[in-house]
Amino acid sequence: MNFGKFLSDRLGRIFAFFLCAALAALFLSATGTQPGILLLLLPALLMVFILIQLSDFFRQRSRLSELENILNGLDQKYLFAECAPPAGEIYERRLFELFRRAGRAMTGAVSDAQASQREYREYVERWVHEVKTPLTAARLIGQSLNGETRRRLIGELDQLQAHVERALFYARAESPERDCLLRQTKLDAIVFEAIENHRTLLLQSGIRIETKGLEIPVYTDEKWAVFLLGQLLQNAVRYRGESPVIVLSARSLGNEAQLLVQDNGIGIPSHELPRIFDRGFTGSNGRARGGSTGMGLYLCKKLAGFLELGLSLCSEEGKGTAVTLTFPARETTSCQQAEPSRAGQEL
Amino acid sequence: MKKVMIIEDAPTIREELTLLLTNEGYQTAAVTDFTDVERQVQAASPDLILLDLGLPGRDGLSLCAGIRKFSRIPIILVTGRDTANDELLALSLGGDDYITKPYNIPVLLARIRAVLRRSGEPAGPDTLQAAGLTLHLSRGTASANGQTADLSRNELKILACLMSHTGQIVSREDLIEALWDNKIYIDDNTLSVNMTRLRGKLSEIGLPGLIKTRRGMGYQL
Repeated sequence: MNFGKFLSDRLGRIFAFFLCAALAALFLSATGTQPGILLLLLPALLMVFILIQLSDFFRQRSRLSELENILNGLDQKYLFAECAPPAGEIYERRLFELFRRAGRAMTGAVSDAQASQREYREYVERWVHEVKTPLTAARLIGQSLNGETRRRLIGELDQLQAHVERALFYARAESPERDCLLRQTKLDAIVFEAIENHRTLLLQSGIRIETKGLEIPVYTDEKWAVFLLGQLLQNAVRYRGESPVIVLSARSLGNEAQLLVQDNGIGIPSHELPRIFDRGFTGSNGRARGGSTGMGLYLCKKLAGFLELGLSLCSEEGKGTAVTLTFPARETTSCQQAEPSRAGQEL
Repeated sequence: MKKVMIIEDAPTIREELTLLLTNEGYQTAAVTDFTDVERQVQAASPDLILLDLGLPGRDGLSLCAGIRKFSRIPIILVTGRDTANDELLALSLGGDDYITKPYNIPVLLARIRAVLRRSGEPAGPDTLQAAGLTLHLSRGTASANGQTADLSRNELKILACLMSHTGQIVSREDLIEALWDNKIYIDDNTLSVNMTRLRGKLSEIGLPGLIKTRRGMGYQL
């Protein structure tokens, strides 16, 4: 609030003052007061009026900046009205009372929403947990079928499981610290598990898998990393081209290790690259092929953020896509010593 | 024959696991009454226990610790709760391995084999014999007619798979899956290349035409 704005706000009052002063001067001179007295009286009145306005201005300004400081210091800004110091004037007190009532209604709505979100998350987790039993049973039953039927059935079950898993990780991504366990593992263990989880999908697609130089220790949550890599494998299969190949390679960079996932698939148009990690973004490839949810890479980005992984993707349309995952890694010697005790460390 | 004990409360899974493991050549025992599991374990004295953690009445983890009090039987813990804490707790309470539902069947079987091997029991014969051919698994060689050929890892696994199904037709898909079980991710073309090389080596030791191609179906020894 500056002084100009303050004055323009009080334009009516200033106008009324000058009107009153003029009327008073007219009245006094008509009733025979000497002009000399008027010349003393009117400036004195004006002085008092100006002083009052100035003091109002400074008082309001300091009050506003005090309130603003309080608001800036608050974590939950919607609790502002509860935290503001009591006001002196009846008008402001009343206003704050109204704010507080509105604020309480909002606090209630926010905590209701949080509770229902938490309940929903818990329900999804329980549901996923329950659906695992029939899924496991179905896999076991499918095992007794012969050749082609078994492969097709297991393929469908894999798809079902991939969807279930995405739902679980989506629910978990809201508060990942609850379920994240960083420890020493090896890139090849992560890669082999992710490949194993998508075995039927990979086999059916006829994609060739090359792995090289993966025996590098990394420091991460294995389960989440396997999920993340699984999303990349699913993408490589879904957007494969002629005689498809996935190359999984790694290199050590001292305190970091990089896992490179390259494919020779159809690639991503360059103008879509900035949006591929957006939630629900399917792109022209996804729309053309169908079955794309726009959730895979979004979840990857989100999880990578929590795991402190570097995730970058470059792609050329028609040539293929390369994703680089950068894991934190310890020096080999310190890792070997630290392994038993670190295993219990949770973040 | 190795005896595997299944402690699992979901009846479908229990029955199907029993069937699967029996087909895979294991002897099985399943627990159906969960009141005094330790005593049942003692009575059955299995070579390996598959223990589900979500049992009715009693927590699988405390059961695992209870079994550990009197026995070193290898235990593979199975659970649907795949939170990181569970895994740590499970392994610290004496589980030898940990697998989460829903598991891939080949993965489960591989883990069972691995745990049995680690617990010091030899995991089956080191040599396979069929049709005048002897395969040394640990040495990676095939010998016949007094001659010996060195095989690559892929060739060894292919031949082992065919020899353990002597007389039967093994499809290309089954061969590829068997190799994947051993973390060899080959595709159809690579299989053809390996098969050609393997046949070359077999004919060098006097067994040309040992592996027959059955068009549209697979290979047969």
